[in-house]
Amino acid sequence: MKTNMFSVKKLLILALGLMILIAAGCSAEKSHSDAKGEKTEDDKKVTMIFSFKSPNLDPHTGFTPIRAGVTETLLKLDEHSNIEGWLAEKWETTDNVTWEFTIRDDVTFQDGAKLDATKVKASIERSIAVNESLGGSLKIQSMKADGQKLIITTIEPYPALPSELVNPYTSIVNIAAEKEMGEEAFRNAPVGTGPFQVKKFTPNQEVQVIKNDNYWADKPKINEATIKFNEDANVRALALQSKEADVVYNLPAEGIEAIEKDTALKIESVPGLRSHFVLFNQKSPNVSDIKVREALNLLLDRKSIADDIMLGHAVPANGPFNSNLPFGIDDEVKKLDIKKAKELLREAGYKENDAGKMQKNGKTLKFELITYKARPELPLIAQLFQSDAAKAGVEIEIKMVENADTHLSENSDWDLATYSNNTSPRGDGSYFLNTAFTETGALNVGKINIPELNKLINQLNTTSDLDERIQLTKEAANIINKEIVHSYAVYPNILVGVNNRIKGWAPTAEEYYIITHTLDVK
Amino acid sequence: MLGLVRKRLVQLVIVLFLLSIFTFSLMKLAPGDPVMAILNADEMMVTEADQVKLRSELGFNQPLYIQYGQWMLGLIKLDLGTSYMSGKPVWNEMMERLPITVQLTVGALLVMVSISVPLGILSARYPGKWPDQISRICALIGASVPSFWFGLMLIYFFAFKLQILPSTGMGTFSQTILPSFALGFSLAAVYARLLRAGLLGSFSEDYIQAARARGVKEWRILWFHAFRAALLPVITVFGLSMGSLLGGAVVIEILFSWPGLGSMAVDAIFSRDYPVIQGYVLLTGVFVVVMNLFVDLSYYLLDPRIKQGKEGTA
Repeated sequence: MKTNMFSVKKLLILALGLMILIAAGCSAEKSHSDAKGEKTEDDKKVTMIFSFKSPNLDPHTGFTPIRAGVTETLLKLDEHSNIEGWLAEKWETTDNVTWEFTIRDDVTFQDGAKLDATKVKASIERSIAVNESLGGSLKIQSMKADGQKLIITTIEPYPALPSELVNPYTSIVNIAAEKEMGEEAFRNAPVGTGPFQVKKFTPNQEVQVIKNDNYWADKPKINEATIKFNEDANVRALALQSKEADVVYNLPAEGIEAIEKDTALKIESVPGLRSHFVLFNQKSPNVSDIKVREALNLLLDRKSIADDIMLGHAVPANGPFNSNLPFGIDDEVKKLDIKKAKELLREAGYKENDAGKMQKNGKTLKFELITYKARPELPLIAQLFQSDAAKAGVEIEIKMVENADTHLSENSDWDLATYSNNTSPRGDGSYFLNTAFTETGALNVGKINIPELNKLINQLNTTSDLDERIQLTKEAANIINKEIVHSYAVYPNILVGVNNRIKGWAPTAEEYYIITHTLDVK
Repeated sequence: MLGLVRKRLVQLVIVLFLLSIFTFSLMKLAPGDPVMAILNADEMMVTEADQVKLRSELGFNQPLYIQYGQWMLGLIKLDLGTSYMSGKPVWNEMMERLPITVQLTVGALLVMVSISVPLGILSARYPGKWPDQISRICALIGASVPSFWFGLMLIYFFAFKLQILPSTGMGTFSQTILPSFALGFSLAAVYARLLRAGLLGSFSEDYIQAARARGVKEWRILWFHAFRAALLPVITVFGLSMGSLLGGAVVIEILFSWPGLGSMAVDAIFSRDYPVIQGYVLLTGVFVVVMNLFVDLSYYLLDPRIKQGKEGTA
């Protein structure tokens, strides 16, 4: 028995030893991280966490380089989503086919090379070669470079060209540097013109950038920044609360309360460019009657979606485009109106049966609603819609699919779908109108085809005057609302958690310009 | 022993071949393809014609057997193809992520061994007593608590409340502790119970009794006689665990931003990145078969009786 006890004792000592070892490891790391924390204050470093990871830093296939302040585009969006010059100081066209861009004369790449039109041309050529869909959206026939002048000729009159040159995929990089470094190395450390240059990149994990002392505009305020990628919203929130990260994108709505309690942190909730909406399948006989669509439109409780599902971090929608955008419309937001919806259904020939269900020719009114989990609020919107519709005697059957795009385009037997789109990327509505409403558009899964709307979109595609474009976009939105081909629910806000040590910075709606030369810390 | 290795290698080829046909057809049966994602239709102006064009460029409208044949031809030339999403060769993509998965696996195994061995031995020495009770509770927790929650709780306490460990990231020792623990703990629970059962079994064997009767020291009996025999069932399960660990632990990888093989596979499945899925399945197939081979070989070392018994028939 004595030897027995001895072995147990030995084991206990062993276990204890191990625990001490681990604890020692932890505390050693603690002093290490503390030291790092202090240094952060001195060195003016910022740590951010993004929700989408990046497999490489190719500026022509991903947004991380522009977000990290490494690359810049010819044109950019200002805080009101208007297009302004960036690497190009001005641009002009007389016929919407030949465009003359004047490239800034005072810009150098991070490797010291001077930016001129020839370099811009080479960069745009690379972006078209590398990016599968960029060629189609730029519609460039030819480019001619002469000193700081770049002449772009488009295939057809194309007034949307400036808006497409805002696209981060057209970031300007030094192709000579790519040749020197090799393609693979360049994809992990592109040489751009931005205020920060890549210091270290670990695929799908993080990118570290340091300030570019020769930046052409004002000197960057911070020395270094790290962008980490983490796909788990709760972990991102905890990293902000533990002060490991200064800025955290896409917070979970349910984590906001705890962050608000911390006086060192704040929440920035900015209106985004996205819309959540309900899509109607134009090929389904169930929703072909506009009265039925009108009724369903009134059964979507936009206020409750914004307040209860999105916890106040969304704006009830009145049309395809966020109402605070220049081309947003100012129609009133439709309120939940069960009585009116019932009336409309009666007008459409439906009658309530004994069970309170709407019925026509012996058939009850029943819809199949497709939803998907990729955006967690969409299934909740579907459930709310289902319960409100039931009050009007309308039955909605919810079907959850993994890949909504595929399901909707490959099946024709669905009636409704919850959907979400960035409806005005690059500060322009023509992307959404062209892809979601025209017959050839890739996102037109509901097979919408309204001649009046098509005509307007065609007109918009050949109009260059900004005010006229705004007017046409508004008119298109009005037709969409009149025909009720979509029922717009909410414009979700972008939720960003920010440590109060960050100053001179606010998240922007388009989420392109994040680490900038004005970003500073206290 | 060489016979076994040879036999297993032949098996490996057959297993991989069947596996590749099986995943290829399943993958193609599942609705959807990567075209919309490649074209980035969520942000870029894309027409149906663009989709049709890309689909035919990628050969998606060809008969399945031709698509499979082309992939197989590449494989024979040791070319696993290129990822649709990242544009990298699949082999490079996997080799970029494998070290991450291996690091996580090693960390988890260290945690597992350092918890399960003492716990298993203690509870076998004192069945029904407090060490055994603790081990039972741990096993219950380890088996029933989902790893994402356990991981989140670890982050909550160690990174947020105590602020002694970083919440995410990898590269330093401190960043390895939480993910290793999150993954290793649930394994440890299972192994401690397995080890306990094995030890209890071997303690009742005649040769242990005989050793005791000869006055062999208790710790010697434990380590050199009982433990070795008790390891057999543990090693069997260990082989299975290793196979699945090397396949990647998706939840832990996402939680702690460790982009290993698991999250690569899940991303590939969601975006229908066929070459990556195929490459991943082959790689994990190799792991599982090789791990099982090692397990079988280890039997020879642990229990000479197996060697004698099998050598005649193999």
